[in-house]
Amino acid sequence: MNLWEGFLGLADPMILILLVTGVLLGVIIGSLPGLTATMGVALFLPVTFGMEAIPGLLLLIGIYFGSIYGGSIAAILLNTPGTPAAAATAMDGYAMTKQGEARTALNIAVIASGFGSIISVLMLIFLSPQLANIALNFSAPEMFGLALFGLSIISSIAGASLVKGLIAGVVGLLIATIGMDPMTSYPRYTFDQPVLLEGFNFIPIMIGLFAVSEAFIMAEDYFKDKGGPMKVAAKLLKTNWRLMPKLFPTMTKSSFLGSIIGIIPGAGADVAAFVSYNEAQRFAKKEDKALFGKGNPKGIAAAEAGNQGVTGGAMVPLLTLGIPGDAVAAVMLGAFVVQGIQPGPQIFQTSGELMYTLFAGMLVAAIVMVIIGLLGIRLFTKVLLVPKTLMITIILVLSTIGAFAINNNMFDVYVILGAGIIGYFMKKHGFPASPIVLALILGPMAESEFRRALTMSEGSLMIFATRPIAATLIALAILSLFTPLLVKFFKDRKN
Amino acid sequence: MKKYLLSMGMIVPLMALAACGDDSSTEANGEEAAENFPENSLEVIVPYAEGGGTDLVARAFAENLQEELGESVSVSNREGGGGAVGMQAGANSSADGHSMTLVTVELLTLPHSGLAELSYEEDFKPVALLNEDSAAITVHADSDYETIEDFIDAADSGENLQIGNSGTGAIWHLAASALEQEIDGSFNHVPFDGAAPAVNNLLGGHIDAVSVSPAEVINQVENGDLRVLAVMADERVDALPDVPTLSETGIDLSIGTWRGITVPADTPDEVVDVLADAAATTAQSDDFIERIETLQLGYRYEDPAGFTELMNDQDALFGELIPSLDLN
Repeated sequence: MNLWEGFLGLADPMILILLVTGVLLGVIIGSLPGLTATMGVALFLPVTFGMEAIPGLLLLIGIYFGSIYGGSIAAILLNTPGTPAAAATAMDGYAMTKQGEARTALNIAVIASGFGSIISVLMLIFLSPQLANIALNFSAPEMFGLALFGLSIISSIAGASLVKGLIAGVVGLLIATIGMDPMTSYPRYTFDQPVLLEGFNFIPIMIGLFAVSEAFIMAEDYFKDKGGPMKVAAKLLKTNWRLMPKLFPTMTKSSFLGSIIGIIPGAGADVAAFVSYNEAQRFAKKEDKALFGKGNPKGIAAAEAGNQGVTGGAMVPLLTLGIPGDAVAAVMLGAFVVQGIQPGPQIFQTSGELMYTLFAGMLVAAIVMVIIGLLGIRLFTKVLLVPKTLMITIILVLSTIGAFAINNNMFDVYVILGAGIIGYFMKKHGFPASPIVLALILGPMAESEFRRALTMSEGSLMIFATRPIAATLIALAILSLFTPLLVKFFKDRKN
Repeated sequence: MKKYLLSMGMIVPLMALAACGDDSSTEANGEEAAENFPENSLEVIVPYAEGGGTDLVARAFAENLQEELGESVSVSNREGGGGAVGMQAGANSSADGHSMTLVTVELLTLPHSGLAELSYEEDFKPVALLNEDSAAITVHADSDYETIEDFIDAADSGENLQIGNSGTGAIWHLAASALEQEIDGSFNHVPFDGAAPAVNNLLGGHIDAVSVSPAEVINQVENGDLRVLAVMADERVDALPDVPTLSETGIDLSIGTWRGITVPADTPDEVVDVLADAAATTAQSDDFIERIETLQLGYRYEDPAGFTELMNDQDALFGELIPSLDLN
């Protein structure tokens, strides 16, 4: 029982203190818009240089786990996703807050996050060598299939109007074309501005569309409705614990899905959250399905278990192949190398003891995260009692700082303001913001992987048909795009 | 509310880090400035993200320079435009020796590609070269190409080899293109978003080779999954003593990335001298060398004269190579 020995390796108060500190820091970093998991881990990477391997790595893992979860807090309470991975959580989470169910929503988020971490870490511990092959099987055609499949989700997160959702998605895809061409590096729509060379960073756009526009709406409500409630939320109901058992199937499925997406290099927590959300909705019963986007607890459970599942998943190719699965894993790779640990197939032989201590630490980090989350809910929900006037200021200040912190660049601050104004009018006219964010995440991936695949095949489209994984994913994407239309067509004919 | 107070506590140091050194001032009286140098804290501008190789080199240097000068040295990351945004900010920063910029080979390649209006001669003065990583031709361990000669023969016989790089116009693409020109072959260049996905595709057998640095494949090479055929350097690389250089096979090609410290061009020479002396001690200290080696990066120090010579040579190389590739 190597894992048991791993737990024994944690029996050092210093290690536990660092682990708890890491998770706490992560939750704070994650809950602030603009400060992402990648940034949090990268900021604390140099701190670990002087530490022993286990405490140093566990500090970073704590930050990683905590920040992915932390993103959901502001998403649920203020419709302000702290990290891109929480954009999917905001849809049902904020709807629940408006119905007074903020406590239930936050409890679901933390339990689903804990579930996602634990399942993905267990997969990492017991199935790493088998799962690592998934990473190797994903080349450009498969990545294109995945991106296309992800984009087909737009039809399910469009909200009330499919047309408006699709318009938002296409606008997102258009914005994604700005910047250097991913294949030839030719500048597109950059007007000779160096800041535009790498295109619009989607995080400031997301902060603007969600957070800044929400602040504008609050300001409008305040001026329009002087006699109305001064607080952000009018009521705060008790947690509905009876709901939880019903969510376990969704959480389990999403955790596995998130883990698999985490293993695939290039697809991170944001993609996992949206895909899990979509799958939970696809297989929901009719009445339940209609509730997605309007405060369905399953929406939060799916998105949070999915994005947290990536944490363990991303470690699989990192540890067994030395290949980072996403941006955070890339920084983690640096942390391993500095500690003199060489990720690769031999890691279990060369650093076996250390690996099991690390795995045990990951499980403990997940539990610490759940405890912090559950204990913190009373504190977090206090945010809703803050008077609107103060809240507007806080959101705007934090959004501005968050945007600036991404690249230390004023340009991103102007982007959040512009996106905030556009987001305000979108909300007024019923255009959903999530499809834009999804298109900004997946558009560049779909374009570059499609063209990369064609470069590899020297122009032949057959590369998408002859490779089974790619063909399956593309077929699924087409199916999920057209199923709603076909169902409607047959129904109309019946009548 | 408490959560937000806590958060603000987190933010303040970040802000402070971001806020320093934005305004540009003109040159001061050189000798007097040199005597008093450094007057206050220093800054290293890094044109790439936190946690990347370039950032880690800068942080290792800053930490050691801090001890040498007795003033704090902070690192601020200014990403964007493939390095253009940060290097431009560095060129415009205050020319008093307190703001340094960590520049990379992109200082030379970006202007030739028409992606930035920077000049290594007019915008910067070199202080110290800290690192150099050559390009390497790496194949899968199961590949039929056992030696670089096999590989070149295959290219000669008309086989369309797929070579992965970290992006069109990036240094590893330029390296593979230069080799292509030297051997008069034809490669199918497959650009990826960074070196890691290119290496992943090589591991999965989707492409034939990659032309990225040894540091980016060393893990997989030591695990026996990949094989390096040759490095594009003048001398063999310490980490791979058994791998021949291209020049050993009769191809005179040395190309790769490097990282070095510069200051804005208007910085008084006297100040640059003081800074260069401190940087020389720092860059040649055991602590710094050890850190570079743990990061699996190639160590190479050059003083301002040597650094200038390197940039002159490479600028001539890229000035010829890049226009001939017809990138845009």
